Amino acid sequence: MSARGALRGIGGATVALFAALAFTPLSNRLHGVLVPPAAPPEPAAAIVVLGARVDDGVLSNSSLRRALEGVVLFRQGLAPLLVMLGTGSRGKPSEADVRVRLAQDLGVPATALLADPRGHTTRDEARVSWEDLAPRGMRRILLVTGSVHMPRAAALFRRAGFEVVEAPVEEISSGVGGPQARLDLARELLRELLARAYYRAAGYL
Amino acid sequence: MDTAFILVVVGLSSLAAVLVARARYRRRLRSAVGKTLETIGLAAVFLLLNVGVGFCLTLLARVVVGRFVSLYYSDDVTILAVSVLQALVFQWSREPEASAGP
Repeated sequence: MSARGALRGIGGATVALFAALAFTPLSNRLHGVLVPPAAPPEPAAAIVVLGARVDDGVLSNSSLRRALEGVVLFRQGLAPLLVMLGTGSRGKPSEADVRVRLAQDLGVPATALLADPRGHTTRDEARVSWEDLAPRGMRRILLVTGSVHMPRAAALFRRAGFEVVEAPVEEISSGVGGPQARLDLARELLRELLARAYYRAAGYL
Repeated sequence: MDTAFILVVVGLSSLAAVLVARARYRRRLRSAVGKTLETIGLAAVFLLLNVGVGFCLTLLARVVVGRFVSLYYSDDVTILAVSVLQALVFQWSREPEASAGP
């Protein structure tokens, strides 16, 4: 096959994939396969909220959703300690600090809050959480992160030594119907699939 | 509903374009579809290349500079738009120059 023919084949496949992801429920089905359904949250020694992103002190959509879920679980009395993770750039408040302030504003006492801005990756976050919580004898944790991210995160935290109770947050609905929302969902799933592949190849999972 | 709306809108505008093209440029339509697919294929290749280079540079920066660089930098939507631009420029550079008029 000529280079021209190969490019036409790739172009045709790209258009077909785009149409399938945007205009059919393919993304929704993939979500059902890759993201297991969540069980109701159970009591634990601590709630650990994984980082997402902060820009100049403003939490991203995912970061805010995760932080709010952590506060809700705390207020339900499921754990006595709420750990907020998330890094920041130099000279700017870290995601963890911004979230702790938010939790305090929402009525969580400062004594029940812990901010750790050291974890850049999910693997880092499992390590620093272990350093924070293992000396306090806290091994059973409620892990809060996006539902797509949860299987990889839970595996890493179990590998670090924790007993993990999963508390996934729906950052993007699995039942979305519009083409743009389906493409967003597909992008989220693809990104997580690549991350899982990288973590497996690197021997982290 | 959004899906049906978009499909109807795009279907109608495409139908109009096909009718105009068939009346005026009958022989060029098939060739134009082929060239469009070629350009989209090129954009996909550039996208993979950009993401792959970004991944390698990120890992290299982590080792060489010793500072954390996020792999998610390669996840920016801008990379898709730039890949399309690269494909367009590359595609046009492969086309023969139009001959100058008398």
